[in-house]
This record gives sequence, structure tokens and C-alpha cells, in this order.
Amino acid sequence: MKAGRPAFPEWVRRLPEYLMIWVPLLLSAAHLVSFSLWTIWISFTPSTLVPVTGWVGLRNYSAVGASRNWQIALDNLLLFGISFVVLSAATGLVLAILLDQRIRGENVLRSVFLYPLAVSFVVTGTVWSWLLNPGLGIQKLVHDLGWTSFKFDWLIDRDMAIWTIVVAAIWQSSGFAMALFLAGLRSVDADIIKAAQIDGAGPIRMYRRIILPSLWPITITVVVIQLQFAISTFDLVRALTNGGPGIATQLPALVVYDLMFQRSLLGRGAAAAVLMLLILLAVLLPYAAWRYVRRRRSSHA
Amino acid sequence: MRERTFAPSRVLIYLIVLLVAAAWLAPLVVVVLNSLRTNEEIAQGSMIGWPQHLAWSNYAAAWSGFCVAETCAGIRPYMLNSALVTIPATIFSTLLGAVAGYAVSLWRFRGDTWIYGIVTLGLFLPQQMRLLPWTIVLRDIGLINTLAGLVLIHTIQGLSFTTLFCRNYYVAIPHDLIRAARIDGAGFFRIFWRIVLPLSPPILIVTVIWQFTHIWNEFLYGVTFTSGQQQPVTAALIALSAAVADIPQHGVQSAAVIIAALPTLLIYVLGGRYFVRGLTAGAVK
Amino acid sequence: MPITTTRRRLLAGSVATLALPAFARAQGAVKPRLTVISQWSAGSDGAAITALGKKFEEKGGVWQHSPVPGFTTEMMNKLRAQIMAGDPPACSQLKGPEIAAWSKIAPTVDLDALVAAAGYEKVVAPDLAKLHKPGGKWIALPLQIYSTNMLFLSKRAMDKAKADKIPVTWADFNDLAEKMKAGGVAFPIANGGTRPDDGQKFEAALAGISPLAYRAAMMNLEKKALEGPEIKAAFAQVRKIADWMDPNVGAQHFSTNLKRFIDGDMGMMIMGGWAQGVLRNAGFKFEDFIIAPGPSDNSKPVFLLNADAFIFWQRKEADLQAGQTLMAQLVMDPAIQTMYSQITGSIPVRTDVDLSGEGWSEGQRTTAKALKDAIASNQAVLSMAHNMAQENGMTAAMIDVITEYVKNKTIKPEQAAARLAEAVESSR
Repeated sequence: MKAGRPAFPEWVRRLPEYLMIWVPLLLSAAHLVSFSLWTIWISFTPSTLVPVTGWVGLRNYSAVGASRNWQIALDNLLLFGISFVVLSAATGLVLAILLDQRIRGENVLRSVFLYPLAVSFVVTGTVWSWLLNPGLGIQKLVHDLGWTSFKFDWLIDRDMAIWTIVVAAIWQSSGFAMALFLAGLRSVDADIIKAAQIDGAGPIRMYRRIILPSLWPITITVVVIQLQFAISTFDLVRALTNGGPGIATQLPALVVYDLMFQRSLLGRGAAAAVLMLLILLAVLLPYAAWRYVRRRRSSHA
Repeated sequence: MRERTFAPSRVLIYLIVLLVAAAWLAPLVVVVLNSLRTNEEIAQGSMIGWPQHLAWSNYAAAWSGFCVAETCAGIRPYMLNSALVTIPATIFSTLLGAVAGYAVSLWRFRGDTWIYGIVTLGLFLPQQMRLLPWTIVLRDIGLINTLAGLVLIHTIQGLSFTTLFCRNYYVAIPHDLIRAARIDGAGFFRIFWRIVLPLSPPILIVTVIWQFTHIWNEFLYGVTFTSGQQQPVTAALIALSAAVADIPQHGVQSAAVIIAALPTLLIYVLGGRYFVRGLTAGAVK
Repeated sequence: MPITTTRRRLLAGSVATLALPAFARAQGAVKPRLTVISQWSAGSDGAAITALGKKFEEKGGVWQHSPVPGFTTEMMNKLRAQIMAGDPPACSQLKGPEIAAWSKIAPTVDLDALVAAAGYEKVVAPDLAKLHKPGGKWIALPLQIYSTNMLFLSKRAMDKAKADKIPVTWADFNDLAEKMKAGGVAFPIANGGTRPDDGQKFEAALAGISPLAYRAAMMNLEKKALEGPEIKAAFAQVRKIADWMDPNVGAQHFSTNLKRFIDGDMGMMIMGGWAQGVLRNAGFKFEDFIIAPGPSDNSKPVFLLNADAFIFWQRKEADLQAGQTLMAQLVMDPAIQTMYSQITGSIPVRTDVDLSGEGWSEGQRTTAKALKDAIASNQAVLSMAHNMAQENGMTAAMIDVITEYVKNKTIKPEQAAARLAEAVESSR
């Protein structure tokens, strides 16, 4: 690229850079778009074991919509999604604030809260299924220690089982929320804090008035990432409750996999997947709009 | 709060943090204890308990003893398979994501917002939905049942995350720096190499940690697109847990879980500090 | 038995050679090779298929097994990927009506000549044979049989109940459970709570109440039978069973309860014959429990058939074809079936294998006799819970209703019966 060399045409000279930029991005975008379109197409076909051509209109969609599994899965998603996102964000925030108090052993403690992220969902699900099973885990331990009226049987309780998934999911992923919040706390301008202290603001007021409001953008990021986690939760539930007791803890991702591969109803599974995508879009579009507005505002400022 | 305050409140803070930490560690402790108990001991008692004798043999069995059908080599060969997929896929997706993130944040070109938007949507496309399309793609390019096929899948899927995080990080690099370099005649790669890459370690550590753990822990593609001897470590773990017609091998299973999780645990423990630092610098814009 | 076995095998081998010049030529010219996909990776399943592979290698073959650990679904994902890639395994594990379904998506091998040469058709239960020849030709071969409704009785629990009679009908069974409860057995039933486990409780109840109704409702999906009184009665029986179980079992595998079962804290278990292999591997003694046919109200044994099988996919390679011939001969071989069943605790598919010799347990003998009797009285039916009666989609829809019923005691038997009929209708 040195000057003085015989000049190549501009585009030849810049070819490597075009390739480096476009090939990976286009491959990634192409696979996402084509896979989504493919799934949408399959959802209108009578495919069962393998993809086939044909047209059944909305029959797959009405079959999915009418199934009890899907209805329960949607209810659960609403409950699980909201409670998990709120509780894991809250846990992450509290942990981040506590870790930000210049405490000793911060490195060790941070590792303790982060390590579940390193563990696979299957392992998390399996281990929590041991701990939460009343006949094997915590309840049995407490009984063996002598407190025999102790009861902790959410795992086998239809109404409470979904909360076991919330517990395991919080354990697994609130470390990520903590890391993000901690990152946010560390980037709050030290001068502003100093100034507030000079004004005589106490710690609680300082958090309420200055620090927490500055965490707002991070909170949105945390919420979106955790929501995405909630919607695609699959391995964890499969290992922890496998949708039970009965079908009480079905979730959309579980239903999609079940229909597509276990029941060999590819068309219906694809329809469920498309419905899931629509739910995702319903969550993501407002977020994208919010980001857009925010960017516009900051570029105008 | 950055200032040291008076003692009682600090005692309370330590108390809370230590309690939560204990709760967070409990599952690990249970698995470690179980890895030192024999299968019979666990079967006859509870899942939570103190080892009667330290059954180190569980680790020997997990590492190189237990059988997956004809192959009685423990978890060892599967660890190698996972490494052969995870390491290249992590490197490729991180590097390509860094270049892409750099291009869309600092270099700007026609259509960058659109393509960036689509690529990041990939974070949200469910795994299960992509299984069959990948089957067709791998068939058509002849990479089914090869580790290269898995590397390709994880590289392309990983780009969504790495591009997003790198882009968010690079946005904060002052544009004047780039502009000045361009006026000096530096090209795309030179600026990347000389200016952007030296600033990147914090965010690259985040993406490497993220990609490594996700690919290492992946199961669905790992068993569908490999054959017998090439399966990833997660397949061997499932083989230990899913024996329908056998007594549960909880002792050996626990030992295998710990061995299989060592690489990712190590990466989080060693990289945890940088993880937060990298996020501070990048991910939250 | 060894002498007759060898002679029959030699005979079968020579007839096959005469009847199949193409195969024979292939076999003579090349080293037989076999690519196999199965989910059998651990425990006695893994040990048994490993032993089969060894036999294959002893005959000069190259054995290339690719186990897919996990649920059957993952094995099927793998198989589907191979088929879609135009590279199916020479042979793969598949069972029940799935054999017919999958045979429509890729060409299979016509095994008629080999089956005829081995005289296999005569020694296979008729309902079972039908599943393996969906288009009228044999394309798959069953390898081993389990009954899903064997009754396991804990001797210590029997002592506590002061009972020594093995229950024959559901009324006997219920009596014994009450007696056990009164005698201090904490939980008269020791079953687990997985989806197939819940399905088994229902199928055992229905088939025991009326094999005819079972055949009509579960196997033929007749609307009238699905709305019949037997279904309600079966659900009522399932409720009793569920009430006698430890509620804490949740969705755990039945093996979590084996110790309490042997100790007499739990009394009975309705489980497949494989439980015997599990009990043996867990170090429990055969003297501590009794195996009997599941309850049957007409007093003749009802046998709920569950059979593992191999399907053979068409391949052009001469060595794979030779491998398929060799594998088919091995699978039908009584000596191989004996070896396989003795490892897993199942019984051979061949009804002509003599189980009186060494290496067989009392439970296996009981099971084999139950199968013979059940076939004679036309009471050998296909298991719904283990995907033998219907394709996976239909089975899963039925088990949804059943498992919800088992776990939710507020659902009435009539409601469950209506839901079952509804689930079948919407899955047709």
C-alpha cells in the first residue's frame, strides 16, 4: 500500500477489506434471514418427520393455538418472564451495590457470583433437580436433621414448580446482571459523587438521586438480555422439570422442540417457533424504537 | 458508595454478601461432595451428604474409565473434541466480530445499520429452530459429521454476540483519532491493527469468555452433527445421566461434571475481573 | 440348546447363501462393515450393544457404532440429519410404528429372504411382526422384548402385610396394597414419576381391566372404545395407584425408590422387565423381590409388548450390504438374542428359545411364559407408553393427559377420559 507502487484500481486495492467486512456479516445475516423465512414457509406445510412441500394454510397455527401445552406455556412464559427478569435484575443490582462498597475479597466474591455462568444449563437443571426434590434434597436434609415438619416441595407442586425454574435461572444468570450493573456503577462520574457529598447527601439519597438514575440505560440492557434468556429457556427446564409435574411447567421453547422433534410434527413446531419469534419481536421492537429515539436525541444534543 | 462508612453498616454488608455467596456456592459444594461419594452411598442416602470415605476413584472413572457404548475412555477424548471445536470457533468469531464491529462503528459504510441490526437479531433466534436449516446447509456444503462444520456453525452464530459487543465498545473510540489516521493515509487494516486492536483487550476478553463457555456447553448441535468418536463433552455427560435402564451413577456423574466444567470455571475465575472491566468499557452503551 | 442353536444357525446361513446370490457375492468379496446409530450408550444397554458389536467383529465384520446419548429425540435428530444428508446408517435403532413412518422418508432394505431363511416369522408374536413389515415386507428386525407391565413385589413388604399370595386381578392388587399400608408399609407403590412411567401406570390398568378395550382404544384408536367405561375405570385405578405413591417422587426415575422398595418401605412396582437388570446392577438380590405378570381381571396374563428393533437403510456400498446381511443374521440368531437378553434383563423375541438353562432369572422365565400365554389368549398387546402402539406424536398427546391426571388429583376420571378422547381426536 506504499505510495509510488504501480497503482491498482481502487476496488482491487480495497478488496481484502471489503471481503473482511462483508463476508462474515453477510453470512451471518443471510443465515438468520433465510432460516427465519424457511421456518415461516415450513409452518404452512404439512411437514412431519422431514420438510415437505405443500400448503395447509393456517392449520398448524390453529392446532398449536388450541393445544393445552401451548396455552400453559404462554401463561408460564408471562409469569416466568416477568418474575425472572425483575428478580434477577434486582438481585444483580443489590449484589453490584454491595460489591461496590470497597469490600475485602471483592475478586473472590465476584467470581462466586459469576461462576454459574460457566456451567451448562443441563448441569444447572440436573443439580437443582436434586436439591429441590423433596425426597432427595433440601427437604430431606432438613428432615434428617430433625425438623420433620419442614416443607419445601415446590418441585412437585403444580402451582409452585415454575418458581423452581425462576430460582435456578436467577442463580445461573444474575451474575451477568451484577457484572453489568457493577460496570455501570464504576463508570458513574466520581466528580458528581464528590460534589454531592460536599452538599451533604447521605448514602441513601445519593443512590436514589444520583447513582441509580444513571444506571437506567444499563437496566434496559439487563432487562432485554434477561428477557431473551427467559424466552429461549430450554435446556434448564428440560433437565429440571421436563415440563412437569404433569404439563405444569411447559415453556414455548420446550413446546417448539417437542413438536418438531419429539412428536415429529415439523409443521406445527415451525408454527410454534414463528409465534415465538413474534413474541420476541413484540419485546424487541419497543427496545429498538427506544434506542433509536435515544440516539437521535443524543446526536441532536 | 466509595467512602468507608462507620462499622455497623459494614458488618451488615459483609453479612449479607457472605450469606448470598454461601447460597451461590451451595450447589457447587453439593456436587463436589457427591463426586467423593460412591454411587451406592448416594443411592442409599440423600443427594446431600458428607462422604463416608473419600471416593477418589470417581475421578479416575470419570476421567478415563466409564464407558459410552464400546468406548471406555472416560471423559478425556470428549474433552479434546470439545476443545477442537471451541478454541477455533471462539478465535474466529471473536476476530471476525471485532473487524465487523470496527467496520460498523468507526468505518461506516452504506447499509451498515441494516446489516448490523439483522446480525444482532441473531442473539434472539432460538437454537431449536435453526437445527434443521443447519442440517440442510451442512449437507449442501459437505461438512456434516465434521468438526469443521461445528466450527462454522458456532463462528457464524457467534458473530451476533461478538459484533454487538465489539461495536458498542468501539463506538466510544474518538472518531478524531480515526480521522487523523485516515488523513495520514492509513487504510482499513492498518487502523485496525495499529489503533483499534491495541485498545481492544477488555472487550475481546468479554467475547472470548462468552463464546468459549457457550460453545463448550452446547449439546444439541454437538450430538446431531458429529459421529461417535467426535462427540463433545456434553454428550458424554448426558450419557452418564440418561441411562434409563441403569442405576444412576451420581458419584461418577458429579466428578465428570466438575472435570468438564473446569475449563470454563477457570476462564471465569481468571477472567472475572476483566469481564466486569470490559463490560464497563463496552457493553452498556 | 447349544447344539440345536448351532445347527439351526448353520442351516439358516446356508439357506441365506443359496437364496441370496447378490448378498452372498458381496459377502464373499468384501469385508462386511456396518454403520449403526443407537441411543444405547450406558449401563446394560451399552454393555449389550457392545457385546453384539464384538460378535459382529468375531465374524470378520467392521463395527462402526455411533451412540447418541440422551433421549430418543436426540437419536432421531441424528438419524434425520443423516437421512437428509443422503447418508443413512446401514442400520439404526428404531421401534414400533415409527418404523413405518420413517420408512417413508428413505428407502429400506427388503429382508424377506433373510427372514424366511432364518424361519423368523414363525417365532415372532404376530402383532409384533406386523410392525416390522409395514409395507408387507420385512425392513426391520426386533431384537429383544420387554413387558411394560410386570409386577414387582417386595418380599419384606409382603411380610409386613402378612401376605403370600401374588395378586392376579386388580381387586387382589388393591387388597394387597391396603394390607401393606395397614401393615406399616409407608408407600405401597414404588413407581417413579417420569412421563413414560405415568403412561405405564395407565396402560397397565387399562390392559388389565380389558385387553379388548385396550386393543380397540390404544392400538386402533376406535372412538367408541375411547369413550367407553373401561377408560374411566382405568383412570380410577390409576388414581388409586397414584395415591399409594410417595408424592415426593416428583418426576424422578423409578430407580430412586429401589432401596426403599427392597427394604419394604415401599411394596409394589409396575415396571418393565428392565427393572430387573437395574435391581441386579444396583447390587440387590433376586431373593428380595418377586416378579409376576401385571394384574389382569380375567386372570389370564396380559402382556404389554415393548420391543427394541433395528431398521436397515438401503446402501449401495458392497461392504455395507454384506454387513447388513451379517447383522440381520446375528439379530435373528437365538444365541445372540440369548446373549443380549441375559445382559439387559429382557426376553428374546424368538418364542422358541429355551429359558430353563443357566443365565436366566426366574423373572425372565416368568416373563417368557407370560408372553406365551398372552399370545395364546390373544392378550399380547402393544405398549402405548413406550411408543409401540402409536407414533410418537399421538403417544405424547395421550401421555400429556395421563401425566397431568396423575399429578393433579383434582381431575376426575370422567374428565380425564374426555380429555384423552379429545387429545386423540386433535392428533389424528
